[in-house]
Amino acid sequence: MAEIVAAALASHAPMITGRPDIATPAQRDRLHDGFLELRRRLAATRPDLLVMFVNDHIQNFPYSNMPAFCIGLAKAYDAPSPGAARLMRIPPRKVAGAPEWAMALLEGGLAAGFDFAYSYEIESWDELAVPLHFLTPDATIPVVPVYTNCGAPPLPTPRRCHEVGAFVGAFIRSRPSAERVALLATGGISHWVGTPETGRINPDFDRRVLDHVARADIEPLARLSEAEIERDGGNGGQEIRNWIALLGAVPGWKGDVLAYEPVPEWITGCATVWVHP
Amino acid sequence: MIRTSYALNKILTALARQHVTTNGLTDDDFVGQDLTDAERAALKAGDITSLYHLGANPYLIRRVFRSRFSI
Repeated sequence: MAEIVAAALASHAPMITGRPDIATPAQRDRLHDGFLELRRRLAATRPDLLVMFVNDHIQNFPYSNMPAFCIGLAKAYDAPSPGAARLMRIPPRKVAGAPEWAMALLEGGLAAGFDFAYSYEIESWDELAVPLHFLTPDATIPVVPVYTNCGAPPLPTPRRCHEVGAFVGAFIRSRPSAERVALLATGGISHWVGTPETGRINPDFDRRVLDHVARADIEPLARLSEAEIERDGGNGGQEIRNWIALLGAVPGWKGDVLAYEPVPEWITGCATVWVHP
Repeated sequence: MIRTSYALNKILTALARQHVTTNGLTDDDFVGQDLTDAERAALKAGDITSLYHLGANPYLIRRVFRSRFSI
């Protein structure tokens, strides 16, 4: 039977790699150490596949056709593309997908009442490119991204994201093959980006989220409304939907916060969290 | 009620997908676009606050008018 061998949460932001020089060195180093520890722990679990809960930044899904949830069926993902690489200052590269596995997830979802959209071509912005730069620098683990609309309101509820994650977890555990699957959710925590409050971070909100994650107390997060997240976590805080989805896949698992740094220069409350039974 | 301008987001999405950054758009960028006078003015001026209040997606504002932000 397939099993979930690892789960992790990590922030993404273009400037984590694009402008490491502008962050306070101590903050930058602590966060980088957090990424490296995640990488070490992830590698130790020897995953065959990485299922990623992520969100688009209007790079792929336009306002003419905006999915709430979308499964990537691509053979490979630009992570980053040559265009995005200029900003993120990491080499452009292709990360392998797992289209047959992703198709099975899609079909299983549709059969179970989760009406996922799907896409055969996705150009990653920072949601895949930045965390994978740290976590799988050799890009040897194929990825299946599950995209959630976190950036073009109205958004799916955190409750629904939790249900989607629970489905993904059940799907993995139902697989007859001996697959070792790792889960990674990226995004968050608080940040205001592109709004008149750009640069604001709310460490109180971030610590509240991390505290719930550490105690596997996810219900209060699933109850949050879009307006409450916007007020306390900013428009970027809406990305905690990805975290909530992952935590739905591993009920009872608790978060070990490896790093948390509110980095104003990167416009993001940045964290790396190892999630374990 | 969420304020969203499809016209603004359509034109900004097209630019963001090409990884274009600019201080402000020109009349040539508006050909065939169904924009209001206020939207045209904000796009030309690179007025990031007005664009937000007119219903442009903040990620797109950030992507296209990055140079207009102090951080």
